Amino acid sequence: MSLTLYHYLSLGAVLFFIGVFGVLTRRNILSILMSVELMFNAANLNLVAFNRYLHPGPLLGQGLVLFTIAVAAAEIVVGLALLLAIYRKRDTVYVENFNLLKG
Amino acid sequence: MKNLLLLTPELLLAVLALGLLVWDMLQKTSSARLTLWLGVAALTLTLLAIVPQLSQKLQGVGSLWVSDPLGNFFKILILLATLWTLLLSMEDRSIPGGQMGLYAATLSLAALGMMLLVSATDLLLVFLSLELVSICSFILSGFNRSDPASSEGAMKYFLIGAFSSAMTLFGISLFYGATGTTLLTAMAPTSNPLLLFSLLFMLVGFGFKVSMVPFHFWVPDAYQGAPTPITAFLSIAPKAATLGLLLRIFTILLPHTALSLTMLFQVLAIATMTVGNLSAIFQTNMKRLLAYSSIAQAGYMLIGFVTSDPLGQEGVLLYAFTYMAMNLGAFAVAMVLAHASLPAEQDPYHLRTYDGLAQRSLGLSLLLTLFLLSLAGIPPTGGFIAKFYVFGAAIRSGFYALAVAGILNSVIAAYYYLRITYRMFFVSPARETPIPVGNYLATTVAFAAALTLAIGLYPSPFVESVKLSMSYLP
Repeated sequence: MSLTLYHYLSLGAVLFFIGVFGVLTRRNILSILMSVELMFNAANLNLVAFNRYLHPGPLLGQGLVLFTIAVAAAEIVVGLALLLAIYRKRDTVYVENFNLLKG
Repeated sequence: MKNLLLLTPELLLAVLALGLLVWDMLQKTSSARLTLWLGVAALTLTLLAIVPQLSQKLQGVGSLWVSDPLGNFFKILILLATLWTLLLSMEDRSIPGGQMGLYAATLSLAALGMMLLVSATDLLLVFLSLELVSICSFILSGFNRSDPASSEGAMKYFLIGAFSSAMTLFGISLFYGATGTTLLTAMAPTSNPLLLFSLLFMLVGFGFKVSMVPFHFWVPDAYQGAPTPITAFLSIAPKAATLGLLLRIFTILLPHTALSLTMLFQVLAIATMTVGNLSAIFQTNMKRLLAYSSIAQAGYMLIGFVTSDPLGQEGVLLYAFTYMAMNLGAFAVAMVLAHASLPAEQDPYHLRTYDGLAQRSLGLSLLLTLFLLSLAGIPPTGGFIAKFYVFGAAIRSGFYALAVAGILNSVIAAYYYLRITYRMFFVSPARETPIPVGNYLATTVAFAAALTLAIGLYPSPFVESVKLSMSYLP
């Protein structure tokens, strides 16, 4: 049995929804960040698979993936920096403890 | 090669912003004001670089972006809002003094991201510039690291932001699968289910930036926590920029009428107005109240986007411009009052600081009344003209439900805006000390008031320039 586009797309979709589920249910910010990374990688997998199977030729999809990997890394760095600032003040990484602002 | 020159304003701003960062690093003791003035100079130069391109319509290199009057209108709006934010920051005390270079550079880079966003016609550039705006906004809203509320607001902003940009990227990957390109101009709009699906995923990211209703939860927290000049900035610039992008994608390149998404957008616009206004009624903190009101204002702007005829599109532009003036004014007055409050008061932005403002400073209370009347859409202010334009567009193209919802919402909004006016004029103040107003804040408020009144009393030059701006490629 050979791998087809649908295997890759299914894997991408499963990864994506694991990520969505993680973001919505996890209470630890580090786990949420990891779940977001899963969502980014699901999209990357889709892009590469579409490039290989549906639109071979120009490596547009794979090129896009290089950009998104860099951007996702930059975004997560900002998130970790914010988390560190909070952790130093409040000594917590759980979202339910973030309750200064409400109303 | 010639087309690369079209990018002069963006390149200039990028170089100047990075230069500002390096300049600030090299200084041992830098003056905060001087750094901010350098930022103002950088933005002014960029504004001047746009002027020669104002009316040209040209395709950028590699078809990633276009240079057309529609984009230029939003670029000018974004640069003006950023300039204004820098002026407000001159008197803000919540920004750590030693990091002004970083602050001004991040603000300029956010403006750069928005300038690219409004001229993008390729999803690659859309994604990259959206992320540039997002990352800079996260940093800016958490800039006051010594304040836990600032970090907390920024963290909530970041979590929802990262989630929605992952959604957008997933949408882009599906778009690429459906069409084989990331170019938005390459294809005729069809109701291909995969394409529709991909656009809906992307809409999550755009809706997050516009603060459209199901994605608005970050708005009040991030706005309340952020330093006030940044709150003013976030409530105007990213919103206007993303509306520009939405206009370009969903009314020009892939019209939502052809994709049969009009009904969805109509529901989203009504929900955005209603949720924003109904939540604003119960707020006791001015920044939070203005945050919910900014959600509602985004809803009014979306009306013009839903009708998507020239009148509606012009309405969005006019509304965005008016909204910039009136919202900046309101935030500037809120800043003045917060500075005048005593350190003992726990929440310097509590609505009770507005009690009896008319007895402490009549001028300030009249100006705030002007801004609030304008936000509520009452003549003779700019807000009335903008609302009239947008609602008129909705009625003319037969979206009666939208127009009725908009008018009902304006009535709800008038209640909470005028309640502040009531506090200012008819409640006796806790203290009768006069309120000191710094020069920069006074200038900002004066400009905002002049612009709000000018649009209201003599709208024709503004309407003319908006009409001229509504020309675009392709």
